Amino acid sequence: MVAFLYDELNEFDKKQVEAHLETCQKCKAELLELKEVYEAADLLNAEMEKAIESVDWKNFPTRISDGIFDKEPSRKRQPRRAGLWPFLFQPRFRLAYAGLLLGMIVGAVVTFLIFQSPPLQVADDGRIIAPQGFYDMMELEMARRDTIDYLDKSEYLLLDFVQSSPEKSVVFWQSDFASQRTKDLLSKKRYIDQQLDKIKLAKAKVICDQIELLFFELMQISDELSAEELEKIQFLIQERQLLLKIKLIRKELQKNEV
Amino acid sequence: MHTQKKNQQDEISSLVERVKSGDREAFMTLTRLYQRKVFQLAYSYFRNKEDALDIVQETFLRFYQKAHMFQKGKSFQNWLLQMAKNICIDYYRKHHKRDNELRRKENIEEMNQTPHESSHHDPSSDLKEIFSRCLVKLSEKQRMIFVMKHYNHLHYSEIAQILDIALGTVKSLHFKAVRNLRTLMSPYMGRMG
Repeated sequence: MVAFLYDELNEFDKKQVEAHLETCQKCKAELLELKEVYEAADLLNAEMEKAIESVDWKNFPTRISDGIFDKEPSRKRQPRRAGLWPFLFQPRFRLAYAGLLLGMIVGAVVTFLIFQSPPLQVADDGRIIAPQGFYDMMELEMARRDTIDYLDKSEYLLLDFVQSSPEKSVVFWQSDFASQRTKDLLSKKRYIDQQLDKIKLAKAKVICDQIELLFFELMQISDELSAEELEKIQFLIQERQLLLKIKLIRKELQKNEV
Repeated sequence: MHTQKKNQQDEISSLVERVKSGDREAFMTLTRLYQRKVFQLAYSYFRNKEDALDIVQETFLRFYQKAHMFQKGKSFQNWLLQMAKNICIDYYRKHHKRDNELRRKENIEEMNQTPHESSHHDPSSDLKEIFSRCLVKLSEKQRMIFVMKHYNHLHYSEIAQILDIALGTVKSLHFKAVRNLRTLMSPYMGRMG
């Protein structure tokens, strides 16, 4: 009935309702009541028309636009640019990017703190308690230094041997001084053998083994060893570039200081 | 007819695009075209000229701020009236709710208890006042739909789009609004003659 009153029905339905109203008094009465409401509502129309006429509509748009555009006189709206990069670099994402950067920094710091070696601690009885990693590092450094020391001393000894004439080198190796030095070096070699295996200084171990063999041979020098044979030993040392290898290995060990 | 309507819609869309770029003239043109419609809606809701003008001003200000959200191809009028409707409801809740709560409790009879001194008393003004008070007694949605239908002469489909509800719901609510007004006014109908 309301739709009929407000002319919202299609032609067919409208005719149906009109035909029904001719026969149904109840619906007719209801329609009359609805019409009264409709007419009462219409009474406000005149008042509304009066209110509309009292407004200065000509200048109203100017009044509104002054309030808007005069607040931002020079700023013109830029049309939004299309594309992925302009979308990604919009000002509204600044906060998200700042959060991401902060998260990355915090993550890096936390990772560093978790995985770094813990510091040394002092126990109540004065002992220093260090983590296992610390001891491993110490061992490696001591092995490295011992090896460097062995190489240094071996080099000096071999230089003395190589740079002397064959006649003088016989005298040199038979002297107490050379003999003692050689024994010390062989003893040191036995000591650093375990360290060289454990900490896998393979290249250094090969050179140290060669030096050890050479020293063993030189220890066997007797009065009967001729100058010629000594000259051969000197030549072998130079041929194998033993002194150069010692220099290189030493340099490498010094570079890898822990 | 359909072509004419489409051309009109294209023109409005192009004006809105210009407003998005900050074109003052385009904004003023659209204001001139729709200011009365918005006023009608606001006035029939509040029956107060000053309130209605505030609503109109606020509506167009919001339109300017949200112009970039308007989708080409949609009805600009419906979109604008949707904003106006939201502002009306917010305004009502902020400024009038308390007063109207009291009015709802007030008996309409109280208004008619004062004896009529003048012989030139106009019964229609009483009916207008009675109707106005009955309208306030409707729920927010029913009142809005009734006002849009009766004073803005919008079709059910347009109201459905503005209020963002189903067409059937609009028809149902309008029917309820009219029936409730009839119920509220029926004790006073016979007296007005």
